[in-house]
This record gives sequence, C-alpha cells and structure tokens, in this order.
Amino acid sequence: MTRFLLTRVALLIAGPLVASILIFLALRVFPGDVAQLIAGSKGTPAQVAQLREQLGLNEPLWTQYVDWIGGVFRGDLGTSLLTGSSVTEQLAEKAQVTVPLALMSMLVALLVGVPFGVLSALGRGKRSGSAISFIAQALASVPVIWAGMLLVIVFALWLQWLPAQGFPRGGWNHTPQAFASLVLPALTIGVVEGAVLLRFVRSATLQAMTEDYVRTAAAQGLTRTRALLRDGLPNVAISIISILGLQFAGIVVGAVVVEKLFNLPGIGRMLVTDVGNRDLPMVQGEMLTLTVVVLVIGVVMDVVHRLIDPRLREAS
Amino acid sequence: MFRRTAVIATIAALALTLGACAGGSAAPDPTTSAAADADATLRVGLVLEPTNLDIRHTSGAALEQILVDNIYQGLVTRTQDNEIVDALASKHEISADGLTYTFTLQEGVTFSGGQPLTSADVVAAYTQVKDDETIVGHSDFADVASITAPDESTVVITLTQPNQNFLFSLTTPAGLVFAKDDTTDLKTAANGTGPFTLEDWKQGDSITFARNDSYWGEKAGVKEVVFSYIPDFSSGVNAALDDSVDVLTAVDPNLASRFEGTDFTITRGKTTDKAVLAFNNAAAPLDDPKVREALRLAIDHKALVEAVGAGQPLYGPIPELDPGYEDLSSLVSYDPEKAKSLLAEAGKSNLSLTLTIPSFYGTTVATYLVSAFNKVGVKLTVNSVEFPTWLTDVYQNHDYQLSFVLHVEPRDFGSTWANPDYYFGYTNAQVSDLYEKSLRTVDADESAKLLAEAAKIVSQDNAADWLYVGETLTAVSPIVQGFPTDSINSRIDLSQITVTE
Repeated sequence: MTRFLLTRVALLIAGPLVASILIFLALRVFPGDVAQLIAGSKGTPAQVAQLREQLGLNEPLWTQYVDWIGGVFRGDLGTSLLTGSSVTEQLAEKAQVTVPLALMSMLVALLVGVPFGVLSALGRGKRSGSAISFIAQALASVPVIWAGMLLVIVFALWLQWLPAQGFPRGGWNHTPQAFASLVLPALTIGVVEGAVLLRFVRSATLQAMTEDYVRTAAAQGLTRTRALLRDGLPNVAISIISILGLQFAGIVVGAVVVEKLFNLPGIGRMLVTDVGNRDLPMVQGEMLTLTVVVLVIGVVMDVVHRLIDPRLREAS
Repeated sequence: MFRRTAVIATIAALALTLGACAGGSAAPDPTTSAAADADATLRVGLVLEPTNLDIRHTSGAALEQILVDNIYQGLVTRTQDNEIVDALASKHEISADGLTYTFTLQEGVTFSGGQPLTSADVVAAYTQVKDDETIVGHSDFADVASITAPDESTVVITLTQPNQNFLFSLTTPAGLVFAKDDTTDLKTAANGTGPFTLEDWKQGDSITFARNDSYWGEKAGVKEVVFSYIPDFSSGVNAALDDSVDVLTAVDPNLASRFEGTDFTITRGKTTDKAVLAFNNAAAPLDDPKVREALRLAIDHKALVEAVGAGQPLYGPIPELDPGYEDLSSLVSYDPEKAKSLLAEAGKSNLSLTLTIPSFYGTTVATYLVSAFNKVGVKLTVNSVEFPTWLTDVYQNHDYQLSFVLHVEPRDFGSTWANPDYYFGYTNAQVSDLYEKSLRTVDADESAKLLAEAAKIVSQDNAADWLYVGETLTAVSPIVQGFPTDSINSRIDLSQITVTE
C-alpha cells in the first residue's frame, strides 16, 4: 500500500509538469497573435511589433516557460495580457459557477446511470431491460448541445419552470435563482453522461450476476435479485468508482459547450473566450488547473478503489 | 488507469478551441413616454464582449460601441447617421485653407473623478495620439503639425496639409479626451466626462454603467445600464424571451422569427459593414482580371442577400452612410454563362479556389458561394478558421486566394483600396491619385465626388466583390424608448433612452 501511494504521489508531481510543458508548447505553435488582435485591423506592423515587445512575446521560449512555471510554484498563475487581472482570481470567480455545475451534473449522471443500469441488467432478455438499453444507447449518442436545446424549449420556454439562460449577477447571494439557473445545464450534461455511465453499470452488474458468490448466495435460499443486491452491488460500486474519474473529464468538456449554450459565466466559457483572444497566460493557467483537477480526481478515485476493495489491498 | 486519465485530461483541455462572435447594429423611434422611470435599469444583450476597456490602446468595435459618448467624449462626435456634431466643443471652426481647426470648449465640464476639463487636457490627450505609435488612431494624426491651447477654453490644431478625414477621425477613439496626468488603470476602470460612469465589469458576463449625476449636460434618462454579453445567438433570443434583457442586438436574422407574436419590435439598422469577398489581386490566379470578373458574374447578389436574411446589395467599396457613395448596380450583373466563357478565355476552365473565412461568420455565405461557383465550373474549398488565425494568415501574411470578412470601419477607402500594402493586394495609381486629391480637397462635396470616381474604378477593376452591406437587427421591448437604430455596432448613444415602468 505504501509503495502504491508513493507511486501515485510521484505521478501527481510528474504528471502536471509534463502537462505544463505540453500545454505551453502547444499554445506557442498555435496560429494567431495577441498583439495583432489588440492593434486590430488598423494596426500598423510597427505598432504590432512594439506591442509584442511590451507584452514580452519576444523573450526566448524557455525564459517564458521558466517565468511561468516559477510563478506556478509560488501559487501565481500569471496575469492576463489583455486585462491585467490575475488568472487565479478569475479562475476562483468562475469556479463558483463551474464547480457546482460539475457536482450537480455528476449527481444527475449517477441518479440516471446507477439505478437504470442495474434495472437494465436485471431485466435482460425482458422488454423492460431492452427498452432501457435502447434509450440509453440513444441518449449517449445525443450531442450535448442538442439535448440542451430540447430541455430549454420544454422546461424554460414552454413550461416556464426554469430560466432558459444566464446566472444571477449577484451570484450565490441569490441562492435560489443561482441554483435554478444551474438545473437545466446540469440535466443537459448529466443525462448524456449518465447514459454513458448506465452502460458501464449494466455490464458490471451482468458480470456480477455470473460470479460464484452470487450463485452461492442464491443457493443458500436468496432470490437471485436479492443475492445480487446484497453481495453483487458492492462489487459493481467498485467498478463505477474507477470510471468516475474519466466521467469527470467528460463533464468538463460538457461544461464548455453548456456554459456557452446557457450563457453561464464559468470556466468553460472563459476558456473559449481566452483562446479566441489568444490570451496565452490565461489559457495556460486555465488548462493547467483543469488538468491538475482531473489528475487529482483520478488519483483519489484510484486510492479509494484500493481502500474499499480488499482483494486489491492484499495483492499489493 | 492513471496514465489514461492524464492523457484524456490533456486532450480535453487542448480540444477546447472555439470562436468568438461578430456584433451588428439597429433601433426604435424616440418618442418620449410620459411614464418614463428615471430610476429604471436598462438591460441590453450584446454579442461581443470587449477584451479590455482600454480604448486608448485596444482597437475593436466592442469597446467603441459602449464607451464612446457614454463614458468618454471627444471634442466632436457623430450621430447614428454618421453626421459630425460638437460634443465637448461648444463650436468649432475650420479655416478656409483647411489647415487650422479652432475648438471652443463647453463650460463647466468635469471628469467623473472630479477634475475640471481644460484645454490642457485636450492638448495632452491629442499630443499623445500624435507621438505614441501604440495609441489607437495614431496614423490618423499624421498630418497634424501642432496642437496648442491659446487659453483655458480654446484648442487650436494645425495641419501640414488639408485632410478631409481629420475632423471625422476626431469622432473615433483617437479624438477622445482624457484627464491630463490621470493614473486610472484604463484596462478595467474609467474616468471620463460622459453621461455615464463605469460601475462594474464582471469579466465574461456583464458591464454595468451608472448615470453620472454630476454630468455637465442633460442627465441621462435611466439610472443604470447593464450590458450582458451573450455569445450564443440562440441563447441571446432566449434571454430576451425570458425577460432577462430589454434590448437584444444583434439578432441573428435566422432567429428573428422567434420574436413573432411577442411584444418585441425588430428594427433594422443601417451599417457601414461591408461584406467583402476579397480576391488576392497580387497572386495567381486572381491577378487575372478575367477570373475576377467571372467570379463576380457568378454571384446572384439578390439571392445571396435573401439567404443571409439581412442587408442590402452593395456593388462598390463605399456604403451609403459614407461620403463618396453612389449606386453602382449598373456595373454588376448575374450571368453564369458569361462567367464560364470568361474562364475558358482565361484558360481556367477547371479552377479550384480556397476561401478563408473566420468561423464566427457561420456557413450561409460560404455555402452559397460554393454552389454559385460550382455552377460556373469553379471548385471552391472552404477553409474555416478562427479569427486570430485569419488575422495572421490573411491580414498579416496575405496568404490566401479568397477571403470573407465584414469590414465594419466607416470611411476606410483610403486605408484599403488606396493602400497597396493592404491584404487586398490591389494597386491602381489612378485610384491612389484620386483618393489623395479627395483627401486634400477642402470642399466636402467636391471631395466626395473624387472619392466616388475612385470607388467606381475599383469596382470596374473587379478588385473584390462586395456581397452586401450589413443590416443590424435589434429586438426592442415596448418599455424602452429612444434606443438608436443605425450604426449601433460602432456606437450606442444611451443618453436619450428612457424606460417606462
């Protein structure tokens, strides 16, 4: 177990470092020039050159990288080339939208994926099971943006139960409105991600149903369903935990689309805007943060997986 | 498990590249209602958010649209119809030789920070534009010889040679007046003389203006204005329909029908947005006049405007709102047969071309052109790029064959068609001469005639195709009075707007 933890910690340090180099280099080969954008279509070449100098874009690449990564180690992700505001502050502000959105989406995904996944497995070969599988397959293939538009038309414009777009300007000071404005976006991501999760749950449940311990429990007089619920589901839970980390990456990508669709001032929308503006310090700060968050969640899930599964503990 | 997570995280982060959006312009009629609420908040939905608020150093319609006239003012400004009128100047005089401009300042003007406006502020601001290359509009001050203040309320600017565009350039950000020696960080704060002050900027969300209660002129009709930036056109319409905004501009013409049966009025505003299909005149195969003519003959402009859903055909480089406009429709026709034979004459019967187009312009124009050019035997490939890529590849490096963007700047003939270094790659000595003459002619009508002559030659040369001139659709709630209609992608004068309960 100690060795397992040590390798995970080592990876947690090396992973972001490698990612930071990849992110940094990818952005430098990216076409487009923030100086030209600031100067606009009336800017003269001389003006653009002067701006590049002022913005420090003429420094050698490795100096720019060392400056950036040195700041990161001091907890300073840098400042925007365009507004001069701190990347960390902007991230913290936008996280107030994106973190609750991600958590709510994850909750919806679990509520959709787990019960229906188990039901679908139990109903295999029956009409109910096939129907659930069919619907899940259809939902998993739906583009997030299309799901969102449908939900808006039905719940916001037609029934008028929930806001169609936007986030209160006062943020979480208006808790009910803030919460209401995240419901449809979370459903949009959650239902689609939940449909993906459902298929994992279904196959894990089907697998558990064939395991010896379920058969043994059934032989002791439990019905097959009760045997599965008592002895099989803990094993299903373990395999779900190991894919939740991956699902989280899916939710982050979903947030980018959904925040634009629902006009939410979150990290996804900020990232899209900053990429469009070629505001490289902002983009690399945001990408590194997202990468680290996804990595940490992956490792935490890995560790939890070990802790709750005695077989893996013994193996190490 | 871990490694897979890392890879997916990086790919997810790298894959998140999308485009921005272009704004447009429009407005309802200014009948003041008796029930106007002086404490009202006006909520306006816009598309494109400014990248920062430093209008001195950052170019872009998104800044000009909201900041000019509302937060900052110049000596002169222009109406929504592009007519030049006095602002911080109570009057201005131009000498008969067109070389000396004398401005008298309004009395009692103060900046929102409390400093009184004097001629020294104007001299400092304008001298900076003249001397500092990084200030927006620096090149417009090339003919300025001196900027002086004979007394506290007079500013005199002398030019080395007459310049028909100089007074107009004072209506742009170059002409705005800032407090001398001010230390306000213009990127996120403001200290102007206008009827509004900058109250708050929530980046990536909204900008809020408050009425300037110590404004020197007539006070604004609303207490507060909130601009919400909604990059997605469809969610903009949703915002209007669920009563999150009172005004939405621009409305995507394809979505305008969603306002049918609601209280909103849709106005269509004139613009100087020239939708230019640029030909790279400097490189084969578009250096061949026959090829350019053939491409123009292949386009049915009326059908294209109908497909776009807003705008008017434009057959030359100058739109109706600018001096030098004349109807050039007689120069252009739709004749695919003639286009084919011209291409055959040029030995280009199996031509393949690439159109570089920033992705936020959507697909309507590109799709139309692919099918129109296909009918005359030209295979068009569409290269949809992000705007920054367009700026580097097309604008900076001239590495393109055909390009499409909206040229929104008013009065840009000189910097585009009379400029051989521009990305159009167009050189015609006669056009440059005519433009130069028009620029140096003091009489405005005479100058406009020369400009019209130059514009006609550019269109006859088939130097580009002007697909249409844009129109801005604006949805206005019935509680809003006085929202402007025309030119609102370059400025929205908020001072006359009122909101009823």
